[in-house]
Amino acid sequence: MTPTQVRTTSEPVSKEPKETAPQIAARIIGLSKRFGKTSVLEDIHFDVAEGEILVLLGASGSGKTTILRIIAGLEQPYTGRVILHGKNVTDLPARERGVGVIFQSYALFPKMTVEKNIGYGLMIRRRRRKEIREAVNELIKLVQLEEHRKKYPSQLSGGQQQRVAIARTLAYKPEVLLFDEPFGALDAQTRVKLRREIRTLLKRVNVPAIFITHDQEEALELGDRIAVINVGHIEQIGTPEEVYNHPATEYVATFLGAANILPGVIRRGNVEVAERIIPPAVTLKKFEEGQPVKLVFRPEDVRLSKTGVLPVGHCLISSGIVEEVSFVGAFERLSVRLELNESLTCDGVETPFYLTTGTPEKGAKPVIATRPRPDANATRLHVGDRVVVGLASFTVLPESTSTVTSQDQAKRS
Amino acid sequence: MRHVRGFDVVRPLSIGVLMFMMLPLVFLPLTSIFIFGTSKGLTSFWAALTAPEAVFALKLSMATSFWATVFNVLFGLFAAYVLSRYNFWGRNALIVTISLPTAIPTAVAGFALLLLWGPYGILGRFLAPQGIELMFTAGAIILANIFVTFPLAFGVIKPVFDTMSRSLEEASATIGATRWQTFWHVTLPSLRGAIVSGALLTFARAVGEFGSTILVSGNLAGRTQTAPLYIFAKFNEGQIEAANAIAIVLALFSFLIFSVLFFARDWLDVD
Repeated sequence: MTPTQVRTTSEPVSKEPKETAPQIAARIIGLSKRFGKTSVLEDIHFDVAEGEILVLLGASGSGKTTILRIIAGLEQPYTGRVILHGKNVTDLPARERGVGVIFQSYALFPKMTVEKNIGYGLMIRRRRRKEIREAVNELIKLVQLEEHRKKYPSQLSGGQQQRVAIARTLAYKPEVLLFDEPFGALDAQTRVKLRREIRTLLKRVNVPAIFITHDQEEALELGDRIAVINVGHIEQIGTPEEVYNHPATEYVATFLGAANILPGVIRRGNVEVAERIIPPAVTLKKFEEGQPVKLVFRPEDVRLSKTGVLPVGHCLISSGIVEEVSFVGAFERLSVRLELNESLTCDGVETPFYLTTGTPEKGAKPVIATRPRPDANATRLHVGDRVVVGLASFTVLPESTSTVTSQDQAKRS
Repeated sequence: MRHVRGFDVVRPLSIGVLMFMMLPLVFLPLTSIFIFGTSKGLTSFWAALTAPEAVFALKLSMATSFWATVFNVLFGLFAAYVLSRYNFWGRNALIVTISLPTAIPTAVAGFALLLLWGPYGILGRFLAPQGIELMFTAGAIILANIFVTFPLAFGVIKPVFDTMSRSLEEASATIGATRWQTFWHVTLPSLRGAIVSGALLTFARAVGEFGSTILVSGNLAGRTQTAPLYIFAKFNEGQIEAANAIAIVLALFSFLIFSVLFFARDWLDVD
């Protein structure tokens, strides 16, 4: 491996500084998989840098577990290669790959104590007893299970079992750690606590890791980068900030949190105006005059104003009528029915986007907006109020990206 | 429930009825063995028990049952592994075939063995001229025991295999273990309880086997006579005490095995 190698991802847009190219721990090239005649994975490419945490995020059945199993050697790919630290391991059996897998059920050996479980990898490698004991002691201390070392897995809590599972793989210095929905079996509070703990632990031991999850919040918090997977292919790969704020497809936008989607059309390539709201790389090159597009924005980026005055930097999209106000704990959620066709303007200047829908007659979906409590208390809104709707930030996607996702979307809701 | 506080008459009544029904069916027959066997005093009981033919019959029963158990546990383990790990054409037919011997009358089983291995049997007729005679030996008893207890160990071990999570073996493989290491360190310990209870069941069943052994063993006292055959022979000769002494030993023995199976369940199942 040469230090000049840089990550090649399907989404070349990465905002990370690349002065020092990171060492690549795992590289997945052109992976595909079929079960019988059905293709479950298509042309999967990604890299994991040394010490990096990559999250494979996708709905169940998206193929993310299959990717993990192929990397672990528990499944054979149809095409493609798995490279671990520069070595092609595609044809090696699981036991010769040196990969650490943390199974959803943890798969701790029920008839072995915590110590025995952790020492298993060294035991079968026929290391000296003293060496095993020292390594186990160190790992037990690392995962803070000193007082549980003689216990059996059935006597441990879910979180403790998970730590044993991690320590058991760390014992043989794995090339990469693979986590298969590791928090699936835990309750909501424990999940949040554990994923922070695990992130801290992984950063401490500096072992590259690939996580699988269907939980977008988990992905955002845990991952250095996220690969969003949909029906067997990667929709987008990038930092949590990138995939959340600049989704490459409608699927990514809707899978990572709530998103409003308005159909529109490119009317006039007005560079200067667009540049102020949307990062130029995302918008301008992609679109032609008259091309149908989708305007995607998060509920928290919607600003509602009774007076018609929006804060600086916001784009006015339309006026609307408040249809519903509901209180959802930390914030207030409103649904607003947009009025008629209007062009989008930002700070009074016309933008190149022309909204073609939003009329009540067409039965278009209302726009969902959320407001933090202080805002909600400052200007109360009621059902039937007429407001001006502005956007703090939005993404423009070509119309065609919705083809794959529409039926999938229906499945999820 | 209406009888939250009051005296529930159904409870003692139903228990009473249950015990009363079991009395002539199970309790009394068992008790009578002990009453009769010791009625002439412990000395005569002991003498009957230590008669050379009696001792031989008991030893032969234990030895033949032991080897049949060893074979059937190993076979059951192997069969359970193959049949729960691999799916292939004819798999269900194999499972049914393995389980079949429980449904076949033991006399039929013994007869079938004779027709195969006997001096005029399908295979036996070729072996007899070579001086190899399998029937009417201890080997025949082992064969008969294997046949009639064939599915017992398999039946206990297979469900455990079926419910065992594949991820345990996958985890072991990713950690770096070979198939053999995985089997030895991970799979086998989880099967310990099933193996022990399967072995006890097989052994208990083999020790008591009568119908097939009487056909294939030749029932020669001091040579091929097992304990149940001894009881039958002595009873026919009118030597009730001799038969009774062995009957007591066999009854106690099976009682012991089932106590172990019952009370050691926790130990057999989990740590």
